[in-house]
Amino acid sequence: MPLWLREHSWRQTLTAVYLSLPLRGARATAANIFCSEQYLKVSVPPFLFEAVLYAPIDDTNSTAKIGNGNIFFTLYKKEPAMWDSLTLANADKEKLQHLRENAVLKAQEKAKEETKAKKITKQEHKKYALMATMKLEEAERKRIEDLKEKEREKVTKELELWKNQQKDGDKYKSIQTKEELHQEIESLKERKNEKMNKTRIPNEGSSKTRLKSTRGCHVSCSIFSQDLKEEQLPAPRAAATIKVNFTPRVFPTALRESRVAEEEEWLYKQAEARRIINSDLSELEDLKEEEKNPDWLKDKGNKMFAMGDYLGAVNAYNLAVRLNNKLPVLYLNRAACHLKLRNLHKAIEDSSKALELLTPPVPDNENARVKAHVRRGTAFCQLELYTEGLQDYEAALKIDPKNKIIEKDAEKIRQLIQGAMQSS
Amino acid sequence: MSAVLGSERPQVVSHVQQALSYTVFDCKWVPRSARLMCLGSAARGTGVIQLYELRGTRLEVLREIEKPKPIKCGTFGATSLQQRYLATGDFDGNLNIWNLEAPEIPVYSVKGHKEIINSIDGVGGLGIGEGAPEIVTGSRDGTVKVWDPRQNDTPVANMEPVQGESKRDCWTVAFGNAYNQEERVVCAGYDNGDIKLFDLKTMSLRWETNIKNGVCSVEFDRKDINMNKLVATSLEGKFHVFDMRTQHPAKGFASVSEKAQKSTIWQVRHLPQNRDIFMTSGGSGSLHLWKYEYPAQRSKKDSEGSEMGVAGSLSLLQNVTLSTQPISSLDWSADKKGLCVCGAFDQTVRVLIVTKLNKI
Repeated sequence: MPLWLREHSWRQTLTAVYLSLPLRGARATAANIFCSEQYLKVSVPPFLFEAVLYAPIDDTNSTAKIGNGNIFFTLYKKEPAMWDSLTLANADKEKLQHLRENAVLKAQEKAKEETKAKKITKQEHKKYALMATMKLEEAERKRIEDLKEKEREKVTKELELWKNQQKDGDKYKSIQTKEELHQEIESLKERKNEKMNKTRIPNEGSSKTRLKSTRGCHVSCSIFSQDLKEEQLPAPRAAATIKVNFTPRVFPTALRESRVAEEEEWLYKQAEARRIINSDLSELEDLKEEEKNPDWLKDKGNKMFAMGDYLGAVNAYNLAVRLNNKLPVLYLNRAACHLKLRNLHKAIEDSSKALELLTPPVPDNENARVKAHVRRGTAFCQLELYTEGLQDYEAALKIDPKNKIIEKDAEKIRQLIQGAMQSS
Repeated sequence: MSAVLGSERPQVVSHVQQALSYTVFDCKWVPRSARLMCLGSAARGTGVIQLYELRGTRLEVLREIEKPKPIKCGTFGATSLQQRYLATGDFDGNLNIWNLEAPEIPVYSVKGHKEIINSIDGVGGLGIGEGAPEIVTGSRDGTVKVWDPRQNDTPVANMEPVQGESKRDCWTVAFGNAYNQEERVVCAGYDNGDIKLFDLKTMSLRWETNIKNGVCSVEFDRKDINMNKLVATSLEGKFHVFDMRTQHPAKGFASVSEKAQKSTIWQVRHLPQNRDIFMTSGGSGSLHLWKYEYPAQRSKKDSEGSEMGVAGSLSLLQNVTLSTQPISSLDWSADKKGLCVCGAFDQTVRVLIVTKLNKI
C-alpha cells in the first residue's frame, strides 16, 4: 500500500499554480511524474501523490523541477482564473477513476502525437540536408562542365581557323595546278607545231620556229624537270621472297588459355622423378648395371606382361619402384599386373598411388590418368564395390568423353547397381 | 620523370561524334584536308568507303562508295599529295588502290592474299621520305607482301612461312627506316606473339622476338628516319617500346613494357608532330596518351664489349574512356596537332582534339 503524500504546499497566481511536494528521502525522476490536463500523479515508491486539479492546465508547458528532496511544479492554467483549491473537493471514487482513465488515455495519445511530430521533423531535416548536398554537387559538376565547354569552344574556333586556311591553301593550289595544266597543254601544242613546221618549211619558218622553239624550250623545261623527278624514283624492287619460321610452342595454346603454370609443374616433376635414385646399396650390389635402371626394368616388366608372366612383371616393377618411387607409370603398370593376378586390393593401392603422382592434371598426362581410373574401377567392380567402381569410371569418362569402351562399361555397372538395389 | 600538373595535362576533348550504319574497321584523315575516310563493312556483307568533311561541329558525308567485299584497312601512305589515292585491303585478300574522284574502277588491283588482309601500310608517298612508294599487306594466311603500284600482279617482296610450317596469322605490319632510297624495313606482328623485322635492302630477316601474347599493332615512331623506336601492342593490356637504334647481336633491341589496361590494346599511333608521344586504344573503349622519355645514355657496352641499347621510361599523360566497345582504329591528323579520329565497334566514329600538346 503506497503512502499518500499529504504535506504539499501550493500557491497560485492568475495564470499559474506553484505546487511544492516534499519527498521524504525518496529520489524522483521524470518518469515518476504523470501529468495530464486535469490530473497529476507522482508515484515514488513507496509514496504516492495524486491530485485531480480544480481546472485544466496546459500540461505541455508546465514544468516540474526535481531537487533537494522536493518537487516543484509550475503549472500554467488554461484559463486564467483563481482556483478555490488545488483539487476538486467533491470528487467521488467513480468520478475520480473515470478522470484517471481519461487522463491516462489522453497522455498516451499525446505521447503518440509527439512521436509522430518528431518523426516528421526528422524526415524534413533529412530531406533538407539531402537537397543541400545535391545542390552543392550540382554546382561542382556545372563548374567542371563549364570548364570543358570553354576548352571545347576554344579548340573548335582554332579548328575552324585552320580549316579556312586549308581551304585557301587548296584554292591556291588548285589555281596553280590549273595553270600548270594549261601550260602543259600549250607546250604540247607547241611541240606538235614545232615538229610540223620543222618538216614543212625549214627556211621560212625558221624565225618562227626559233621563236616558238624558245618558247617551247621554256615550257618543256618544266616538263623535263617533271620527267627527271619521275626518274628519281627508283625502279620497282627486284622481287624476292623471305622465308620465315614461327616460334614453336611446347603447348600450342594462346597464353591466356594455356595452363602454363600447371604444365610447368608437371614437367618439373617429371624431370625430378627421373633424377631420383633411391638406392639402397647393400641389396643392389649383386645387380647388373642395367638392372639398376628403372626405365630398363619398366621395359622388362612390360615385356613380361605382354607374354603373360605377371609375377615376373610384378617383380620387375617392384625393383624399379625401389630404385625410383616417383615414376607414376611403374605403379600404373604394376596395377595392371595385379588386376590380372586378381590381387585386387593391391591393384587399387597401386592405381591410387599412380593417380597421386599424376597431379597436377594436365593434357599431357591425360592418358595415364584415364588408365589409372579404369584399372581402379575394374578392381572395385571385381570386389563388388560397384559404386566406387562407377565413380572411377565416371572420372575416366570426364577426362576422355569420347571413349566408347569406358562408356559401355560404365553403363554395365550402372545396370548392375540398379539390379542389385531392386533385388535387395 | 617530370610530373605534369593536373591543369597542365593534355585533355582529350570529344569534338564530334557520328553514328554510322555499318561496322567501321579503319578511319584515316585525307592528307592536307579536313576530310576523313571511314572504311568498313555494311550489314549486308559489302564494303563501304565513306568520305566525310569536318564542318563546324558536324561531319558531313561527301561521298559514299560501296564495294563488293568488306574492307578491313586502308592507307594513304604510298600516294603523292596531288593524287591522294587510297589503298585498301579487303576481307577477300584483294589489294586495291582507288582514285576517290573516280572510284568505280581501281587504279591498281591485285588478289594479293588467300585470306583477309588484316593490316596495310604505305611508305614513300605524301612527300615524306625517299624511295619508291610501296605498300605492305599482312594477312591471315601468314604472309606479308610488299607491293609496288607500278608493278602489277606480283609483289616485290614476299615473307612467307617455310614449306610445311604451320602458319600463324599476321595481324599487323608497319614500314620503317626509309631514310634514303635504298633502306627500308618492314615490321610484322603475328598472333602468337612473334615480331619480325625484315630488311628489304638485304631481303633478309633482321630481327625477331616473341612477346608471348598476340601482337595487335606495331608502329615505328617515324617511317622516314633511321629507325628510332618501335611500339608493339598486344593482347592482355601489354605493350612494348623497343629502342631500335642499337641492335645487340644476341639480345636484339632493348625494350620497356607497360601494362596499362586489362583489355587488348588494339592500336598504337604516334603523334606526327612529336615522335615521343603516342596514343594507345584499348578494348575497353579507352584511350591512353603516353610520353616516352629517353634514358641518359641510349646505349652501353656489355661485358663482351658489344653495344647494347638502353630503354627509356614511359609516363601516362592522360587517359579517357569514350565507349563501351573496343576502339579499333585511330589516326592523327598530320596537318593539325592534336586532331585525331577514332572508330569504335559501337559503330561510331569520333573526332577528338587533344589539347595542350604544345606544352609537353
